[in-house]
Amino acid sequence: MTAFVQPDTAVIVRQRLLENAEDVDALFVLAALHAHDGLVAEGITVLDRVLRLDPAYPGAWRFKATLHRMRGENEAGQSAWDRAEDVEP
Amino acid sequence: MSAPAPIRLKICMAGEATVGKTSLIRRYVLDEYDDRYIATLGTKITKKVMSVQDPKRAGPVTVHAILWDIMGTPTLRDLLKEAYYHGAEGIFAVADQTRKETLAALDAWARSIRSVAGDIPTFGLVNKKDLDPDPQFAAGEIEAFFEKRGWPWLCTSAKTGVGVEEGFRRLAETILADRPILKPDASGDGPRRPS
Repeated sequence: MTAFVQPDTAVIVRQRLLENAEDVDALFVLAALHAHDGLVAEGITVLDRVLRLDPAYPGAWRFKATLHRMRGENEAGQSAWDRAEDVEP
Repeated sequence: MSAPAPIRLKICMAGEATVGKTSLIRRYVLDEYDDRYIATLGTKITKKVMSVQDPKRAGPVTVHAILWDIMGTPTLRDLLKEAYYHGAEGIFAVADQTRKETLAALDAWARSIRSVAGDIPTFGLVNKKDLDPDPQFAAGEIEAFFEKRGWPWLCTSAKTGVGVEEGFRRLAETILADRPILKPDASGDGPRRPS
C-alpha cells in the first residue's frame, strides 16, 4: 500500500498564484500562512487584497479582525468584525 | 395556519485533508462525484434548501443550510477558527475509513470549533465506505469512538452516495431539536441562533 502524502498547503498556494495572481482562495491562505509565520502585518496586507477582489469572501473580515487584535489594533479589529456581521451569509 | 418561516443553519465540515469533505457536499447538493482530488483552499460556501421534520413542531420545516467547506490544514486551524466557526450551529466531523489516524484527529477539530461556537451538535461521517477499511482498525473501534463522545454517526460514500442524504438530514434534525425557539428575524431568512 502506498503511504499517504499530505498535500503541502504552501506549495499549492504558490502554484495557484503562479497560474492566477488574483486567485482569492490562494491569497486568503497566503495571508494565513504569513500570520502563522509571525508576519501578521504582511498577512493583513494580503487580506486587504482579498477583500478588494471579493469584499464578501467568507471568513475574510473575521480573519482580518483576528489579525488586527493580534497586533493590539482593537479598533481596527472591531471595525472588521462589524463588517463581517454585515456581509456574511 | 401559515407555514413556519425558513430556518437558516450554518453547518461546518471538519476533518483532515482528503477525507472527502468537498466530495460529500458535492454529492449531497449536486448528486455528482469526481474522482480527481483538488485540495480545498480557503473557504467554499454552498447553500442547500432542505425540508426537514422539526421535532418541536411535529411537522416539516424548510431549512436553508449554509455549508462551510473548510480546508483540512491542521496547522492553520486555530488561527482561522473565528473566521470559520463563528455562528456555526452544527458540525460534520468527517473521517476516512481507509486512514485510521483521521478518526483520532476529529477530537482536535471538534475542540477548535467548540471553543468558538460552543457545545453544538456534532455528527460523525466515516467516509469512503466503498473502499476497504484500514486494517489497523480493531473490531468495534469506530463505533466506540463516537459512542464515547456522544456523537451520532454514519458510514458514507461520496462516490456511491451511501449515507450522504441521511447524514445531512439527521444533523439538521439534531440541530433543530437542540436549538432554542427563536423569533423570526427581519431579514426574511427566518430565525437564527444569536451569535
